[in-house]
Amino acid sequence: MWDAVVVGGGLAGWIAGIRAAQRGKKVLLVTEGVGTLFYFSGIFDYGDIEGLRHLPKHPYTLFNSEDIAQGQHFVQEICPEYIINETPQSAFTVLGTVRQGDLMPRSMILPDRQEQGRFVLLVPEGLKDFFPEVVMTNMAREFPGWQVSAKRMRVDALAEWVKLGKSVSSIDYSAIWRSEEGQRVLAHEIEEIKRQYQVGNKPQEKIIVVLPSLVKEYVDFSRTKPCIEEFSLPVLEMSSFVPSPHGRYFAEYLKHRFTDLGGELMIGARAVSLNQESPSENKARTCQEVIVNSKGKSLCLKGKKFILATGGLLGGGIKVGMARKSIHEGVFDLPLFVPKEWSEPQFFASQPFAQIGVETDELMRPLDPERGEVVWDNVHVVGRMLAHWDPWTQRCGGGVSVTSGYAAAELV
Amino acid sequence: MDSRDELAARLDACQKCNMCTAQCPVAKVNPRFIGPKGLGPDMERFRKGQINLDETTLDDCSNCKTCELTCPSGVKITEMILGARRAASKARHKNTMGLRLGLRGYILGRNEYLGKLGVIWPTLTNQVLKIKLVRLALDKTLSISKNGPLPAYGKPLKIQPDKVGIGTNTNKQVVYFPGCYTRFNEGDTGRILIRLLEHLGYKTIVPDFHCCGLPLEANGQFGKADKNGRYNLELMRPYLEAGIPVITSCTSCGLTLKEDYPKLETRSAQLIGAQAYDLFEFLWQLHEKGELPLDFQEVRASYGYHPPCHLKAQGIGTPALRILGLIPGVKIRNIDAGCCGLSGSYGFKAEKYEKAMKIGSGLFEAINVGSQHGDFQSMTTECGVCKVQIVHGTGIPTEHPVHILAKAYRLID
Repeated sequence: MWDAVVVGGGLAGWIAGIRAAQRGKKVLLVTEGVGTLFYFSGIFDYGDIEGLRHLPKHPYTLFNSEDIAQGQHFVQEICPEYIINETPQSAFTVLGTVRQGDLMPRSMILPDRQEQGRFVLLVPEGLKDFFPEVVMTNMAREFPGWQVSAKRMRVDALAEWVKLGKSVSSIDYSAIWRSEEGQRVLAHEIEEIKRQYQVGNKPQEKIIVVLPSLVKEYVDFSRTKPCIEEFSLPVLEMSSFVPSPHGRYFAEYLKHRFTDLGGELMIGARAVSLNQESPSENKARTCQEVIVNSKGKSLCLKGKKFILATGGLLGGGIKVGMARKSIHEGVFDLPLFVPKEWSEPQFFASQPFAQIGVETDELMRPLDPERGEVVWDNVHVVGRMLAHWDPWTQRCGGGVSVTSGYAAAELV
Repeated sequence: MDSRDELAARLDACQKCNMCTAQCPVAKVNPRFIGPKGLGPDMERFRKGQINLDETTLDDCSNCKTCELTCPSGVKITEMILGARRAASKARHKNTMGLRLGLRGYILGRNEYLGKLGVIWPTLTNQVLKIKLVRLALDKTLSISKNGPLPAYGKPLKIQPDKVGIGTNTNKQVVYFPGCYTRFNEGDTGRILIRLLEHLGYKTIVPDFHCCGLPLEANGQFGKADKNGRYNLELMRPYLEAGIPVITSCTSCGLTLKEDYPKLETRSAQLIGAQAYDLFEFLWQLHEKGELPLDFQEVRASYGYHPPCHLKAQGIGTPALRILGLIPGVKIRNIDAGCCGLSGSYGFKAEKYEKAMKIGSGLFEAINVGSQHGDFQSMTTECGVCKVQIVHGTGIPTEHPVHILAKAYRLID
């Protein structure tokens, strides 16, 4: 019997699992794969929290500001490189445009636009889906007072790739930057930049090196040799693009935090249904076990609490058939809120389908939308599966997932 | 929906996000490998139009199944690649494998016969395999790497045929599928496992199984692999029909029994999936029923644990950690730092040895850092060849977790 069975290994599921394990609970996290964490930009968006809390039924209405702050501090506790600030901060995307974000790594935060200085964009040879000319144009537009230049570079370890004319994914480059060899090459490049721009020019010019696919965070010194060198110039990270190196290392790091705290990970297993206590009239039912398809056989996993973190339409927690009427939540078959019209003609407008999800009470227990009653007494729904929000236009995906995952873990 | 349609549906589920390739241990070290997305779903569309690749391209996949665990859309990538290899092997006259690699595949796929030969005089075989000239000759003639950690042979595990017959008390019997590695290279682990099951009151039957077939499959010999599967299923049939579980201690044999055998069209194929258990999965089930004695003696030792890729692919979590966690004194840390790189016989191949070591480098680093920190003194893992590779890559002693449990039950020192 587990204290909690978390279904789903995305952001909300991991946060719930790690926090519950940290509280000394016996936790099992069941997940089919690594989920959508590989789409992670490296930045947690919280959005306009106070504004969103005034929207009826928005997940933020389930929490008070203290709950939200606790989640933020938890992220910072597990990833100390993240900075909590009163006002949103800005970072470069891989296109060189500027995006705002609420919780981002220290080495991603952009300098003050009012200052003056020089960005030197390091352009790793053969980096896939990276267009330095576009990036530099965008950077120059965003920072009119700054000089922007580029420096091409190569790494011996990838010589074979380059010779074949094969592009290198940002995940492979990020692995290089995290290795001893990569650190050495970077130190050398940065020294050269320093020599090139500080000799002759006025030495006080502020130079910032910008390096795509760099991920300095989520380093686990119980599994890797420390090899982070201090560079002679500040180096700026850019937010990640799919397949995301930030997501890759963050997912790995969360997994290790979870299992090091005694949590158990069951990967490659799909939760498909549940068993319940024989229901009595007019009472919320209690889930006793989830049924999981492992290879060859079904496993019954007993738990006191179940946390549903399977994601929404994108993450695969909600399945839609060819006929739109066939839409269902895949594990507990929970009732879903589905808007009458799914889409709206303007592509970038808030799309009604984004609001699809499970309605819950204040304890994130699923509700029957028609009768407003709690369906399962010991099931908590977290993350993208919650109804009535839109991560794309409201920009609060990280916030809702972290806050609900953390809050659910407190209920275990 | 039949499985064929389901595979097609899963093909359409591929969103081309490339996460599988980003996580693929082979693509990371081999630029010539087009990666799981390319080899699986992308090429599958060509294959559906009857355009087939030759086997050498497909052969780069090490069959670790990391891509299937990574895919956010549930695409059966390795299954597609294996299907393509199967098709390519049938069109052998058209492919470019060449006689030498074909012969190597024939030999490496037959670890069972190698084992049977090796254990006739294990010390002699081991000495011969240690001779540099012999390894050089194997390298030059068969492209079997001179540096690869070929496992040593030992006193083989004897088969234990069922003399008495199944009888009526079926709930205290198990069939043990030891697998070639346990049978010929590490008989001790098998003998300890049998003693342990006896200690728990189980009669253990070890029929004269052939190799599970996975090494044959990995070396492109699908016909022979299926034949082995059907042969083994026939040996299991009476027990499966009596509801007796089949226990494995090797995670790759276990995965084959659970994933591949159900596809063979025999009556027992329909039963094996639900009745095949990893040893610790079986023990955990006993524990949940309250049938696992907990009279452990304290075992003061700390271990690092490596979850094999083929255990992860079974989707049963890490039952060995759950069971070992019940033993007082045992400290165990789940390293989980990726594939060891050996992948059955992959890392023994001359052109793949270096890459296999590179794949394993993250794991070796994590083990070295952990042991230097004093987190643990030795390693434990279920998979025999992972073990061989870990020892080869780090020099840290490694054993099957059943040894730790047997110590706790005072069955061994």
